[in-house]
Amino acid sequence: MTMELEYNRELYGVEHEAGPFAITADVIQTFNRSIGETNPMYTDAATAQAAGYNGVLAPPTLVTMLVRNVELPDIELKFGIMRFHAGQRVQSRAPIVAGDSLMASSHLKEVYPKTGRSGTMVFTVWETTFTNQDGVVVADVQESYASRE
Amino acid sequence: MCDRPFWGQWRHRSILQALPFAPIILELILRRMYLDLHSHSVSSDDSRATVEQYVKWVHVLRSKRGYTIDGFVLTEHRKFDFDKDYSQLAAEYDVLIMKASELDTRYGHVLVYGVNEGLAKDIDLGDVKMDARELMKAARHHGAIAVPAHPGRFGIGLVDYMEQGEAFPDLHIVERVNGGSRAGENERADALCQEHNFLGTGGSDAHLASHLGSCVTSFPTEVRDERQLVEALLAGDFTPVWLKDTNP
Amino acid sequence: MADRNGPYFEDIDLGDEIGPVELVATDENVINFCQLWGNPMPNRFTSQEMAEASGLPSPIVPGVMSMAIMSQALTDWAGPEALKDLDLVFRQPVPHNKPLLISATVTDTRQEDGENLVECDVLMMGEAGERYVGGTALISLPSNEE
Repeated sequence: MTMELEYNRELYGVEHEAGPFAITADVIQTFNRSIGETNPMYTDAATAQAAGYNGVLAPPTLVTMLVRNVELPDIELKFGIMRFHAGQRVQSRAPIVAGDSLMASSHLKEVYPKTGRSGTMVFTVWETTFTNQDGVVVADVQESYASRE
Repeated sequence: MCDRPFWGQWRHRSILQALPFAPIILELILRRMYLDLHSHSVSSDDSRATVEQYVKWVHVLRSKRGYTIDGFVLTEHRKFDFDKDYSQLAAEYDVLIMKASELDTRYGHVLVYGVNEGLAKDIDLGDVKMDARELMKAARHHGAIAVPAHPGRFGIGLVDYMEQGEAFPDLHIVERVNGGSRAGENERADALCQEHNFLGTGGSDAHLASHLGSCVTSFPTEVRDERQLVEALLAGDFTPVWLKDTNP
Repeated sequence: MADRNGPYFEDIDLGDEIGPVELVATDENVINFCQLWGNPMPNRFTSQEMAEASGLPSPIVPGVMSMAIMSQALTDWAGPEALKDLDLVFRQPVPHNKPLLISATVTDTRQEDGENLVECDVLMMGEAGERYVGGTALISLPSNEE
Protein backbone atom coordinates (compact mmCIF):
# COMPACT_ATOMS: atom_id res chain seq x y z
CA MET A 1 0.00 0.00 0.00
CA THR A 2 1.22 3.49 -0.84
CA MET A 3 1.91 5.33 2.41
CA GLU A 4 -1.36 6.89 3.56
CA LEU A 5 -0.60 10.30 4.96
CA GLU A 6 -2.73 11.74 7.69
CA TYR A 7 -3.10 15.53 7.54
CA ASN A 8 -5.77 18.16 7.15
CA ARG A 9 -6.69 17.98 3.46
CA GLU A 10 -9.35 20.64 3.94
CA LEU A 11 -6.54 23.18 3.77
CA TYR A 12 -6.27 22.70 0.01
CA GLY A 13 -7.82 25.65 -1.79
CA VAL A 14 -7.71 27.91 1.29
CA GLU A 15 -5.75 31.17 0.94
CA HIS A 16 -3.91 32.68 3.93
CA GLU A 17 -3.20 36.36 3.47
CA ALA A 18 -0.75 38.80 5.01
CA GLY A 19 0.37 42.36 4.41
CA PRO A 20 0.62 45.01 3.28
CA PHE A 21 4.42 44.95 3.34
CA ALA A 22 6.00 48.32 2.63
CA ILE A 23 9.05 47.81 0.42
CA THR A 24 10.92 50.95 1.33
CA ALA A 25 14.38 51.91 0.10
CA ASP A 26 15.49 51.29 3.67
CA VAL A 27 14.19 47.69 3.65
CA ILE A 28 15.99 47.08 0.37
CA GLN A 29 19.21 48.61 1.69
CA THR A 30 19.11 46.49 4.85
CA PHE A 31 18.63 43.39 2.72
CA ASN A 32 21.51 44.45 0.48
CA ARG A 33 23.80 44.96 3.47
CA SER A 34 22.97 41.53 4.92
CA ILE A 35 24.26 39.74 1.81
CA GLY A 36 26.83 42.28 0.64
CA GLU A 37 24.80 43.30 -2.40
CA THR A 38 26.29 46.32 -4.18
CA ASN A 39 24.64 46.37 -7.62
CA PRO A 40 23.73 50.05 -8.25
CA MET A 41 20.28 49.13 -9.58
CA TYR A 42 19.55 47.78 -6.09
CA THR A 43 21.48 50.41 -4.14
CA ASP A 44 21.37 53.72 -6.02
CA ALA A 45 18.07 55.46 -6.77
CA ALA A 46 19.58 57.62 -9.53
CA THR A 47 20.84 54.55 -11.43
CA ALA A 48 17.46 52.82 -11.11
CA GLN A 49 15.63 56.00 -12.18
CA ALA A 50 17.89 56.34 -15.21
CA ALA A 51 16.78 52.83 -16.17
CA GLY A 52 13.12 53.91 -15.95
CA TYR A 53 12.15 52.84 -12.42
CA ASN A 54 10.65 55.05 -9.70
CA GLY A 55 13.20 53.89 -7.16
CA VAL A 56 15.79 51.23 -6.45
CA LEU A 57 14.89 47.71 -7.54
CA ALA A 58 14.45 45.00 -4.93
CA PRO A 59 16.75 42.00 -5.48
CA PRO A 60 14.62 39.10 -6.73
CA THR A 61 14.80 37.03 -3.54
CA LEU A 62 13.85 39.82 -1.12
CA VAL A 63 10.24 38.59 -1.12
CA THR A 64 11.32 35.22 0.27
CA MET A 65 12.08 37.04 3.55
CA LEU A 66 8.44 38.06 3.84
CA VAL A 67 6.89 34.60 3.56
CA ARG A 68 7.42 33.82 7.23
CA ASN A 69 5.06 36.71 8.08
CA VAL A 70 2.13 34.78 6.67
CA GLU A 71 0.50 32.87 9.50
CA LEU A 72 0.25 29.39 8.08
CA PRO A 73 -1.92 26.84 9.87
CA ASP A 74 -0.64 23.54 11.22
CA ILE A 75 -1.51 20.94 8.59
CA GLU A 76 -1.87 18.38 11.42
CA LEU A 77 0.50 15.96 9.74
CA LYS A 78 0.70 12.72 11.74
CA PHE A 79 4.29 12.02 10.87
CA GLY A 80 7.75 12.84 12.06
CA ILE A 81 9.32 15.00 14.68
CA MET A 82 12.01 16.94 12.81
CA ARG A 83 11.18 19.61 10.26
CA PHE A 84 13.63 21.34 7.96
CA HIS A 85 13.65 23.61 4.95
CA ALA A 86 14.16 21.33 1.94
CA GLY A 87 13.76 23.65 -1.02
CA GLN A 88 12.65 27.04 -2.25
CA ARG A 89 11.65 28.56 -5.55
CA VAL A 90 11.13 32.19 -6.47
CA GLN A 91 9.59 33.24 -9.77
CA SER A 92 9.84 36.93 -10.57
CA ARG A 93 6.79 38.11 -12.48
CA ALA A 94 7.31 41.89 -12.45
CA PRO A 95 9.83 44.34 -10.97
CA ILE A 96 9.52 45.22 -7.28
CA VAL A 97 10.54 48.82 -6.67
CA ALA A 98 11.15 50.90 -3.54
CA GLY A 99 7.80 52.42 -2.59
CA ASP A 100 5.79 49.33 -3.54
CA SER A 101 3.32 47.83 -1.12
CA LEU A 102 2.92 44.07 -1.38
CA MET A 103 0.24 41.65 -0.25
CA ALA A 104 1.00 37.96 0.24
CA SER A 105 -1.40 35.09 -0.26
CA SER A 106 -0.32 31.53 0.60
CA HIS A 107 -1.91 28.15 0.04
CA LEU A 108 -0.98 24.52 0.58
CA LYS A 109 0.31 23.14 -2.71
CA GLU A 110 1.13 19.51 -1.94
CA VAL A 111 2.14 16.96 0.68
CA TYR A 112 4.02 13.80 -0.33
CA PRO A 113 6.31 11.12 1.14
CA LYS A 114 9.71 9.88 0.00
CA THR A 115 12.75 8.20 1.46
CA GLY A 116 16.26 9.54 1.55
CA ARG A 117 19.49 9.46 3.53
CA SER A 118 17.49 10.48 6.59
CA GLY A 119 14.89 7.71 6.20
CA THR A 120 11.27 8.29 5.28
CA MET A 121 10.35 11.94 4.95
CA VAL A 122 7.17 13.83 4.20
CA PHE A 123 7.39 17.02 2.18
CA THR A 124 4.94 19.88 2.64
CA VAL A 125 4.92 22.54 -0.06
CA TRP A 126 3.40 26.00 0.39
CA GLU A 127 3.02 28.52 -2.42
CA THR A 128 2.82 32.26 -1.82
CA THR A 129 1.85 34.87 -4.41
CA PHE A 130 2.90 38.49 -3.93
CA THR A 131 0.78 41.24 -5.49
CA ASN A 132 1.65 44.94 -5.56
CA GLN A 133 -0.53 48.00 -4.89
CA ASP A 134 -1.71 48.00 -8.52
CA GLY A 135 -2.90 44.39 -8.34
CA VAL A 136 0.05 43.15 -10.40
CA VAL A 137 1.47 39.78 -9.40
CA VAL A 138 5.17 40.45 -8.81
CA ALA A 139 6.43 37.09 -7.55
CA ASP A 140 5.55 33.54 -6.60
CA VAL A 141 7.49 31.75 -3.90
CA GLN A 142 7.32 28.03 -3.16
CA GLU A 143 8.74 26.66 0.05
CA SER A 144 9.16 22.99 0.72
CA TYR A 145 9.56 21.61 4.25
CA ALA A 146 10.51 18.04 5.06
CA SER A 147 9.41 16.21 8.18
CA ARG A 148 11.37 13.17 9.15
CA GLU A 149 10.91 10.33 11.60
CA MET B 1 34.01 -19.13 -64.63
CA CYS B 2 34.78 -15.57 -65.62
CA ASP B 3 33.01 -14.49 -62.44
CA ARG B 4 35.73 -15.80 -60.24
CA PRO B 5 38.66 -13.56 -61.28
CA PHE B 6 36.30 -10.61 -61.37
CA TRP B 7 35.01 -11.40 -57.88
CA GLY B 8 38.53 -11.93 -56.61
CA GLN B 9 39.66 -8.69 -58.19
CA TRP B 10 36.75 -6.78 -56.71
CA ARG B 11 37.31 -8.25 -53.29
CA HIS B 12 41.03 -7.46 -53.46
CA ARG B 13 40.36 -3.90 -54.52
CA SER B 14 37.65 -3.35 -51.95
CA ILE B 15 39.89 -4.55 -49.12
CA LEU B 16 42.58 -2.13 -50.28
CA GLN B 17 40.04 0.67 -50.57
CA ALA B 18 38.68 -0.07 -47.13
CA LEU B 19 42.09 -0.03 -45.46
CA PRO B 20 42.11 3.68 -44.61
CA PHE B 21 38.74 3.18 -42.90
CA ALA B 22 39.90 0.16 -40.93
CA PRO B 23 40.24 2.02 -37.62
CA ILE B 24 36.71 3.37 -37.97
CA ILE B 25 35.30 -0.04 -38.95
CA LEU B 26 37.21 -1.66 -36.10
CA GLU B 27 35.91 0.96 -33.70
CA LEU B 28 32.36 0.35 -34.88
CA ILE B 29 32.76 -3.37 -34.32
CA LEU B 30 34.56 -3.07 -31.02
CA ARG B 31 32.94 0.07 -29.70
CA ARG B 32 31.16 -0.41 -26.45
CA MET B 33 27.84 1.17 -25.69
CA TYR B 34 27.75 3.74 -22.91
CA LEU B 35 24.43 4.22 -21.16
CA ASP B 36 23.62 6.28 -18.08
CA LEU B 37 21.38 3.87 -16.17
CA HIS B 38 20.16 6.31 -13.50
CA SER B 39 18.57 9.71 -14.12
CA HIS B 40 15.50 11.67 -13.11
CA SER B 41 13.47 14.10 -15.17
CA VAL B 42 10.94 16.64 -13.87
CA SER B 43 8.54 13.72 -13.72
CA SER B 44 10.28 12.95 -10.41
CA ASP B 45 9.37 15.40 -7.65
CA ASP B 46 12.96 16.39 -6.84
CA SER B 47 14.41 16.77 -10.33
CA ARG B 48 14.67 20.03 -12.20
CA ALA B 49 15.73 18.64 -15.60
CA THR B 50 13.46 18.17 -18.58
CA VAL B 51 14.09 15.25 -20.95
CA GLU B 52 14.76 17.77 -23.72
CA GLN B 53 17.49 19.37 -21.59
CA TYR B 54 19.02 15.94 -21.08
CA VAL B 55 19.22 15.17 -24.80
CA LYS B 56 20.71 18.61 -25.41
CA TRP B 57 23.25 17.91 -22.67
CA VAL B 58 24.19 14.62 -24.36
CA HIS B 59 24.90 16.73 -27.44
CA VAL B 60 27.19 19.00 -25.34
CA LEU B 61 29.02 15.96 -23.93
CA ARG B 62 29.50 14.47 -27.36
CA SER B 63 30.28 17.42 -29.58
CA LYS B 64 31.88 19.94 -27.23
CA ARG B 65 33.58 17.76 -24.65
CA GLY B 66 34.45 14.71 -26.75
CA TYR B 67 32.84 12.06 -24.57
CA THR B 68 30.90 9.04 -25.72
CA ILE B 69 27.40 8.55 -24.44
CA ASP B 70 24.73 6.68 -26.34
CA GLY B 71 21.75 7.23 -24.14
CA PHE B 72 20.21 7.28 -20.72
CA VAL B 73 17.52 5.63 -18.66
CA LEU B 74 14.91 7.73 -16.88
CA THR B 75 14.47 6.07 -13.50
CA GLU B 76 11.66 8.15 -12.06
CA HIS B 77 11.02 7.99 -8.33
CA ARG B 78 8.22 5.69 -7.14
CA LYS B 79 6.51 5.46 -10.52
CA PHE B 80 6.76 4.33 -14.09
CA ASP B 81 5.66 6.71 -16.83
CA PHE B 82 3.66 4.33 -19.01
CA ASP B 83 2.06 7.29 -20.79
CA LYS B 84 5.26 9.12 -21.75
CA ASP B 85 6.74 8.64 -25.21
CA TYR B 86 10.17 10.15 -25.91
CA SER B 87 10.75 8.40 -29.25
CA GLN B 88 10.47 11.59 -31.31
CA LEU B 89 12.96 13.42 -29.10
CA ALA B 90 15.28 10.40 -29.18
CA ALA B 91 15.19 10.26 -32.97
CA GLU B 92 15.65 14.03 -33.36
CA TYR B 93 18.81 14.08 -31.23
CA ASP B 94 20.03 10.54 -31.96
CA VAL B 95 20.01 9.64 -28.27
CA LEU B 96 18.64 6.41 -26.83
CA ILE B 97 16.05 7.23 -24.14
CA MET B 98 14.71 4.39 -22.03
CA LYS B 99 12.24 4.36 -19.17
CA ALA B 100 12.53 2.60 -15.81
CA SER B 101 11.80 3.26 -12.14
CA GLU B 102 13.62 3.95 -8.90
CA LEU B 103 11.44 2.54 -6.16
CA ASP B 104 11.71 3.18 -2.43
CA THR B 105 11.84 0.05 -0.30
CA ARG B 106 12.45 -0.54 3.37
CA TYR B 107 15.98 -1.58 2.38
CA GLY B 108 16.85 1.43 0.30
CA HIS B 109 16.16 2.55 -3.25
CA VAL B 110 15.98 -0.01 -6.05
CA LEU B 111 16.28 0.65 -9.77
CA VAL B 112 13.91 -1.48 -11.81
CA TYR B 113 14.59 -1.98 -15.52
CA GLY B 114 11.98 -3.52 -17.81
CA VAL B 115 8.94 -2.35 -15.83
CA ASN B 116 5.70 -3.49 -17.44
CA GLU B 117 1.97 -3.54 -16.72
CA GLY B 118 2.18 -6.96 -15.09
CA LEU B 119 4.80 -5.83 -12.58
CA ALA B 120 2.93 -2.61 -11.87
CA LYS B 121 -0.18 -4.68 -11.10
CA ASP B 122 1.70 -6.95 -8.70
CA ILE B 123 3.76 -4.27 -6.96
CA ASP B 124 2.54 -0.92 -5.67
CA LEU B 125 5.26 1.28 -7.17
CA GLY B 126 4.51 4.06 -4.67
CA ASP B 127 4.89 1.88 -1.57
CA VAL B 128 7.91 3.36 0.22
CA LYS B 129 8.01 0.47 2.72
CA MET B 130 7.94 -2.48 0.33
CA ASP B 131 10.33 -5.40 0.84
CA ALA B 132 13.18 -5.18 -1.67
CA ARG B 133 13.36 -9.00 -1.74
CA GLU B 134 9.76 -9.28 -2.91
CA LEU B 135 10.41 -6.59 -5.49
CA MET B 136 13.43 -8.50 -6.85
CA LYS B 137 11.36 -11.68 -7.14
CA ALA B 138 8.38 -9.95 -8.76
CA ALA B 139 10.65 -8.13 -11.20
CA ARG B 140 12.24 -11.35 -12.43
CA HIS B 141 8.82 -13.03 -12.62
CA HIS B 142 7.67 -10.28 -14.99
CA GLY B 143 10.80 -10.17 -17.12
CA ALA B 144 12.25 -7.11 -15.39
CA ILE B 145 15.29 -6.77 -13.16
CA ALA B 146 15.74 -4.97 -9.84
CA VAL B 147 19.11 -3.39 -9.03
CA PRO B 148 19.67 -1.71 -5.64
CA ALA B 149 20.71 1.91 -6.18
CA HIS B 150 23.63 3.57 -4.37
CA PRO B 151 24.06 0.66 -1.92
CA GLY B 152 26.87 2.48 -0.14
CA ARG B 153 24.72 5.49 0.72
CA PHE B 154 24.91 6.20 4.41
CA GLY B 155 21.64 5.68 6.23
CA ILE B 156 19.66 4.31 3.33
CA GLY B 157 21.98 2.03 1.32
CA LEU B 158 21.86 -1.75 1.19
CA VAL B 159 25.29 -1.97 2.87
CA ASP B 160 23.79 -0.70 6.13
CA TYR B 161 20.97 -3.25 6.00
CA MET B 162 23.30 -6.14 5.13
CA GLU B 163 25.55 -5.14 8.02
CA GLN B 164 22.45 -5.40 10.22
CA GLY B 165 22.07 -9.03 9.08
CA GLU B 166 19.54 -8.72 6.25
CA ALA B 167 20.15 -11.20 3.42
CA PHE B 168 19.18 -10.83 -0.23
CA PRO B 169 19.57 -14.25 -1.86
CA ASP B 170 18.34 -13.18 -5.31
CA LEU B 171 20.80 -10.31 -5.52
CA HIS B 172 23.55 -10.37 -8.14
CA ILE B 173 23.77 -6.80 -9.45
CA VAL B 174 23.98 -3.48 -7.60
CA GLU B 175 24.72 0.06 -8.68
CA ARG B 176 28.44 0.23 -8.04
CA VAL B 177 29.12 3.81 -9.16
CA ASN B 178 26.58 6.54 -8.45
CA GLY B 179 27.19 10.13 -9.56
CA GLY B 180 25.30 11.58 -6.59
CA SER B 181 27.36 9.80 -3.96
CA ARG B 182 29.08 11.64 -1.16
CA ALA B 183 32.64 10.90 -0.11
CA GLY B 184 33.09 7.24 0.81
CA GLU B 185 29.74 5.99 -0.50
CA ASN B 186 30.95 4.60 -3.84
CA GLU B 187 33.87 3.00 -1.99
CA ARG B 188 31.38 1.17 0.25
CA ALA B 189 29.51 -0.03 -2.85
CA ASP B 190 32.79 -1.18 -4.31
CA ALA B 191 33.66 -3.16 -1.20
CA LEU B 192 30.19 -4.73 -1.23
CA CYS B 193 30.67 -5.88 -4.83
CA GLN B 194 34.06 -7.35 -4.06
CA GLU B 195 32.94 -9.11 -0.93
CA HIS B 196 29.85 -10.71 -2.48
CA ASN B 197 31.05 -10.95 -6.06
CA PHE B 198 28.21 -8.71 -7.22
CA LEU B 199 28.19 -7.19 -10.68
CA GLY B 200 28.02 -3.40 -10.75
CA THR B 201 26.34 -0.77 -12.90
CA GLY B 202 27.04 2.95 -13.17
CA GLY B 203 24.62 5.86 -13.32
CA SER B 204 24.75 9.59 -12.72
CA ASP B 205 21.61 9.83 -10.55
CA ALA B 206 21.20 13.16 -12.32
CA HIS B 207 18.52 15.51 -11.05
CA LEU B 208 19.98 18.40 -13.05
CA ALA B 209 20.69 18.36 -16.78
CA SER B 210 24.41 19.05 -16.46
CA HIS B 211 24.92 16.06 -14.16
CA LEU B 212 23.72 13.54 -16.75
CA GLY B 213 26.35 11.06 -17.86
CA SER B 214 28.80 11.76 -15.00
CA CYS B 215 29.05 7.99 -14.80
CA VAL B 216 27.63 5.38 -17.14
CA THR B 217 27.50 1.65 -17.74
CA SER B 218 29.52 0.17 -20.59
CA PHE B 219 28.06 -2.74 -22.58
CA PRO B 220 29.84 -4.74 -25.29
CA THR B 221 26.66 -5.29 -27.26
CA GLU B 222 24.12 -2.92 -28.67
CA VAL B 223 21.14 -2.12 -26.50
CA ARG B 224 18.18 -0.61 -28.31
CA ASP B 225 15.32 -0.82 -25.84
CA GLU B 226 14.31 -1.75 -22.32
CA ARG B 227 13.95 -5.46 -23.15
CA GLN B 228 17.49 -5.61 -24.53
CA LEU B 229 18.74 -3.68 -21.51
CA VAL B 230 17.32 -6.35 -19.18
CA GLU B 231 18.91 -9.05 -21.37
CA ALA B 232 22.25 -7.27 -21.35
CA LEU B 233 22.14 -6.94 -17.56
CA LEU B 234 21.21 -10.60 -17.16
CA ALA B 235 24.07 -11.53 -19.49
CA GLY B 236 26.35 -9.93 -16.92
CA ASP B 237 28.88 -8.42 -19.31
CA PHE B 238 29.00 -4.75 -18.30
CA THR B 239 31.09 -2.40 -16.20
CA PRO B 240 30.57 0.99 -14.56
CA VAL B 241 32.61 3.76 -16.20
CA TRP B 242 33.26 7.40 -15.29
CA LEU B 243 32.48 9.85 -18.07
CA LYS B 244 36.14 10.85 -18.50
CA ASP B 245 36.94 7.23 -19.40
CA THR B 246 34.53 7.24 -22.35
CA ASN B 247 36.78 9.69 -24.20
CA PRO B 248 38.25 7.58 -27.03
CA MET C 1 21.67 49.45 -22.51
CA ALA C 2 24.76 50.86 -24.15
CA ASP C 3 26.78 50.61 -20.94
CA ARG C 4 25.79 47.04 -20.30
CA ASN C 5 28.50 44.94 -18.65
CA GLY C 6 26.67 41.62 -18.65
CA PRO C 7 26.35 39.13 -21.48
CA TYR C 8 24.00 39.27 -24.44
CA PHE C 9 21.86 36.32 -25.48
CA GLU C 10 24.04 35.74 -28.53
CA ASP C 11 27.12 35.36 -26.30
CA ILE C 12 25.65 32.30 -24.59
CA ASP C 13 26.10 28.73 -25.73
CA LEU C 14 24.96 25.39 -24.36
CA GLY C 15 27.47 24.00 -21.90
CA ASP C 16 28.94 27.42 -20.97
CA GLU C 17 30.12 27.58 -17.38
CA ILE C 18 29.71 30.60 -15.14
CA GLY C 19 31.89 30.90 -12.05
CA PRO C 20 32.64 29.49 -9.63
CA VAL C 21 32.28 32.57 -7.48
CA GLU C 22 33.75 32.02 -4.03
CA LEU C 23 32.33 33.62 -0.93
CA VAL C 24 32.03 33.02 2.78
CA ALA C 25 28.96 33.51 4.98
CA THR C 26 30.46 34.64 8.27
CA ASP C 27 28.79 34.35 11.68
CA GLU C 28 28.21 38.11 11.52
CA ASN C 29 26.61 37.91 8.05
CA VAL C 30 24.18 35.25 9.24
CA ILE C 31 23.28 37.17 12.41
CA ASN C 32 22.59 40.30 10.33
CA PHE C 33 20.48 38.29 7.92
CA CYS C 34 18.46 36.66 10.70
CA GLN C 35 17.83 40.07 12.28
CA LEU C 36 16.33 41.35 9.05
CA TRP C 37 14.48 38.12 8.41
CA GLY C 38 12.83 38.41 11.83
CA ASN C 39 13.78 34.94 12.97
CA PRO C 40 13.98 35.06 16.79
CA MET C 41 17.53 34.52 18.02
CA PRO C 42 19.30 32.52 19.26
CA ASN C 43 18.38 29.85 16.72
CA ARG C 44 20.06 26.98 14.90
CA PHE C 45 21.47 29.47 12.40
CA THR C 46 23.30 31.53 15.02
CA SER C 47 23.82 29.41 18.14
CA GLN C 48 26.09 26.38 18.57
CA GLU C 49 23.88 25.04 21.35
CA MET C 50 20.65 25.30 19.34
CA ALA C 51 22.33 23.82 16.27
CA GLU C 52 23.45 20.80 18.29
CA ALA C 53 19.94 20.43 19.71
CA SER C 54 18.72 20.17 16.08
CA GLY C 55 21.26 17.44 15.32
CA LEU C 56 23.65 19.75 13.48
CA PRO C 57 27.38 19.90 14.23
CA SER C 58 27.41 23.70 14.08
CA PRO C 59 25.15 26.66 13.10
CA ILE C 60 24.12 26.68 9.45
CA VAL C 61 23.32 29.28 6.82
CA PRO C 62 19.50 29.59 6.43
CA GLY C 63 18.10 28.33 3.13
CA VAL C 64 16.60 31.74 2.46
CA MET C 65 20.08 33.29 2.79
CA SER C 66 21.68 30.60 0.58
CA MET C 67 19.12 31.47 -2.06
CA ALA C 68 19.82 35.20 -1.69
CA ILE C 69 23.57 34.78 -2.22
CA MET C 70 23.12 32.38 -5.15
CA SER C 71 20.71 34.86 -6.70
CA GLN C 72 23.29 37.59 -6.16
CA ALA C 73 25.96 35.57 -8.00
CA LEU C 74 23.57 35.18 -10.93
CA THR C 75 22.47 38.83 -11.10
CA ASP C 76 26.10 39.96 -10.81
CA TRP C 77 26.75 37.98 -13.99
CA ALA C 78 23.53 38.44 -15.95
CA GLY C 79 22.25 41.79 -14.72
CA PRO C 80 19.88 42.99 -11.98
CA GLU C 81 16.68 42.45 -13.98
CA ALA C 82 17.66 39.13 -15.55
CA LEU C 83 16.65 36.47 -13.03
CA LYS C 84 13.14 35.16 -13.75
CA ASP C 85 13.09 31.89 -11.84
CA LEU C 86 15.36 30.33 -9.24
CA ASP C 87 14.41 26.87 -8.01
CA LEU C 88 16.67 25.33 -5.35
CA VAL C 89 16.93 22.15 -3.34
CA PHE C 90 18.80 22.41 -0.04
CA ARG C 91 20.73 19.15 -0.10
CA GLN C 92 23.14 19.51 2.82
CA PRO C 93 23.48 22.01 5.68
CA VAL C 94 25.52 25.02 4.54
CA PRO C 95 28.28 25.88 7.05
CA HIS C 96 29.36 29.33 8.25
CA ASN C 97 32.90 30.63 7.74
CA LYS C 98 33.83 28.20 4.97
CA PRO C 99 34.33 28.87 1.26
CA LEU C 100 31.11 28.46 -0.71
CA LEU C 101 31.61 27.98 -4.45
CA ILE C 102 28.69 29.10 -6.59
CA SER C 103 28.62 28.10 -10.22
CA ALA C 104 26.18 27.75 -13.09
CA THR C 105 26.12 25.73 -16.31
CA VAL C 106 24.01 26.69 -19.31
CA THR C 107 21.71 23.79 -20.20
CA ASP C 108 19.30 25.42 -22.66
CA THR C 109 18.78 28.60 -24.64
CA ARG C 110 15.53 29.56 -26.31
CA GLN C 111 13.42 32.48 -27.47
CA GLU C 112 9.93 32.52 -26.06
CA ASP C 113 7.21 35.20 -26.08
CA GLY C 114 9.73 37.78 -27.22
CA GLU C 115 12.19 36.96 -24.44
CA ASN C 116 15.68 35.51 -24.85
CA LEU C 117 15.84 32.84 -22.19
CA VAL C 118 18.81 30.98 -20.78
CA GLU C 119 18.30 27.96 -18.55
CA CYS C 120 21.11 27.12 -16.11
CA ASP C 121 21.89 24.50 -13.53
CA VAL C 122 23.16 26.22 -10.42
CA LEU C 123 25.22 24.78 -7.60
CA MET C 124 26.63 25.83 -4.29
CA MET C 125 29.47 23.54 -3.37
CA GLY C 126 32.04 23.22 -0.64
CA GLU C 127 35.79 23.00 -1.10
CA ALA C 128 35.75 19.20 -0.86
CA GLY C 129 33.04 18.92 -3.51
CA GLU C 130 30.08 18.83 -1.09
CA ARG C 131 26.91 19.72 -2.99
CA TYR C 132 25.17 21.97 -0.50
CA VAL C 133 22.50 23.49 -2.74
CA GLY C 134 21.50 22.64 -6.30
CA GLY C 135 18.83 23.76 -8.67
CA THR C 136 18.00 25.66 -11.81
CA ALA C 137 17.74 29.28 -12.86
CA LEU C 138 15.92 30.89 -15.74
CA ILE C 139 17.57 34.06 -16.98
CA SER C 140 16.33 36.56 -19.53
CA LEU C 141 19.02 38.37 -21.50
CA PRO C 142 18.90 41.21 -24.02
CA SER C 143 19.85 40.59 -27.62
CA ASN C 144 22.75 42.52 -29.12
CA GLU C 145 20.69 42.78 -32.28
CA GLU C 146 18.02 44.94 -30.62
